[in-house]
Amino acid sequence: MNARKYLALTRAGIIQELQFRMGTFITVLGNLIYLTLVYFLWRSIYASSPTPVVNGMTFNDTIIYLVLATALFNFLEMYLVWNISRKIQSGEIVMDLLKPMSYRKLMFFTFFGDNITTFFLTFLPTFIVVFILTKGAIPVGTNLIWFVISVGGALLVNYFIDFFVSTISLYTESTWGINIVKESIVLLFSGATIPLVFFPEKLRVVVKCLPFRCIYDTPLNILLQKDGYTPGSGMWTMLGLQLVWCVALCALTGIFWNFSVRRITVNGG
Amino acid sequence: MNEAAIANAKRGFSFYARIYRKILVQDLKSKMSYRADFIISTFGMIMTNTVGFMSFYILFKNFPSINGWNYHEMLFLYGFSLIALTPLQCLFDNNWSLRYSVESGDFIKYCFRPINIFFYFISEVFDVKGLGQLVFGVAVLSYAWSSLAIPVTVGTLCLLVLLLITASLFMIAIMNFAAATCFWMLRSGYVMILMFRFKDYARYPASIFDGLFRIIFTFVIPIAFIAYYPGLVILHPDNIPLLSKLSPVIGVLFFWLSYKFWMLGATRYDGTGS
Repeated sequence: MNARKYLALTRAGIIQELQFRMGTFITVLGNLIYLTLVYFLWRSIYASSPTPVVNGMTFNDTIIYLVLATALFNFLEMYLVWNISRKIQSGEIVMDLLKPMSYRKLMFFTFFGDNITTFFLTFLPTFIVVFILTKGAIPVGTNLIWFVISVGGALLVNYFIDFFVSTISLYTESTWGINIVKESIVLLFSGATIPLVFFPEKLRVVVKCLPFRCIYDTPLNILLQKDGYTPGSGMWTMLGLQLVWCVALCALTGIFWNFSVRRITVNGG
Repeated sequence: MNEAAIANAKRGFSFYARIYRKILVQDLKSKMSYRADFIISTFGMIMTNTVGFMSFYILFKNFPSINGWNYHEMLFLYGFSLIALTPLQCLFDNNWSLRYSVESGDFIKYCFRPINIFFYFISEVFDVKGLGQLVFGVAVLSYAWSSLAIPVTVGTLCLLVLLLITASLFMIAIMNFAAATCFWMLRSGYVMILMFRFKDYARYPASIFDGLFRIIFTFVIPIAFIAYYPGLVILHPDNIPLLSKLSPVIGVLFFWLSYKFWMLGATRYDGTGS
């Protein structure tokens, strides 16, 4: 195992990301405006509700959850499907396939630098601001450690799903369509736009069997110490489930990619 | 007056309509050669709209009304906003590739044609899958319309079309501004992605905002005009706010400003040197 080449890729990713400080600034500013939209919408939703607690979530809980989900989205979303399918269409992918490491690892470590940078530049500041604004509504304890571990799991599950969908685009030569299907399904069924507890019972049963919940629902509820996600009440099951999905998706994407990459057709050079 | 000047003077609407038709036919022909992509894109369009509708539905399962607006009124705004976003999707989709062509230097080709740069660039792509969204929007709006028992007359239908055109101008203007930022900064893709996400909030009544943010979402990022202000004209005809009445004028103004901003960027573009 030669870790140096992976480290070099990650480092390059960090340096590249830091080059575009203007982009980061715009992202942070835009996100603040976006979050005010989320805030106003849910404030009026809760104001119209007859009870202050809906499905075990208070207004504060919901807002913390959604704000951190948005921050997590910025940190996790690397537009991998978009990038890979563009490379497939342009033929640039050939150069990457020639490199002496598996394509899956190459892509992962290329974007991992991005992940690290955005974690510190956008997720952490958002977290601190939310923590101060809500005056300690986020419980602090060992849950922070489990949260970080769970975010790691979320990162991997998200990566494997993205990679799986990118592999499909080897067959379809479609960029936009594939990407939009993936994005809308993942964002809804992972609980990124609406917390899963709000889902109707029947739909929730289905969503529980899908891997998407590992990405937003699991880490955020562990952080907020919601019922069913505390060390005493099923956190281990949730973390175990994440691990199972990681392993399963890893195996699945590996097989699917190795099978599909032989089919690749690149026009011209 | 020399010949060129005479030719220039003749370039009215019909000249541009003829060119648009020619470019459109070429674009559709090239799209037909990627049939799988077309089918998947249409499917993708249906999927995002279905998922969007599901989240809307889930929300209303938990909360019977939002800020005094009931389910059907909200559905009205939802359908209205989908239709109002269709012209952006169908006609102005090429804005999404502006930053690629600016960064790669390909954009220079648009500068050398003797026609309006904005027109030429935008007309290059007609996005067929946007029509799927239109169908979805019409279905939602008709359902809400009949559930609310709003009378159907020739007058209201004409008014509806006018309001929809007005509303569409706002989102087109927002995206023109967002796309044109690539003339000044690198990695401007984030600006477009962010602005495009705002459209999902256009379907909620702007009365949920207050203070400074009411002003921001009305005059700076005018999402309140995409469904709320125009929608009020039909939903509450006996109590129409001034901003609703002024919305066509403001819409044209916003569009004109975004066009000027876009052109400002285009004219100061000097290629990548390669």
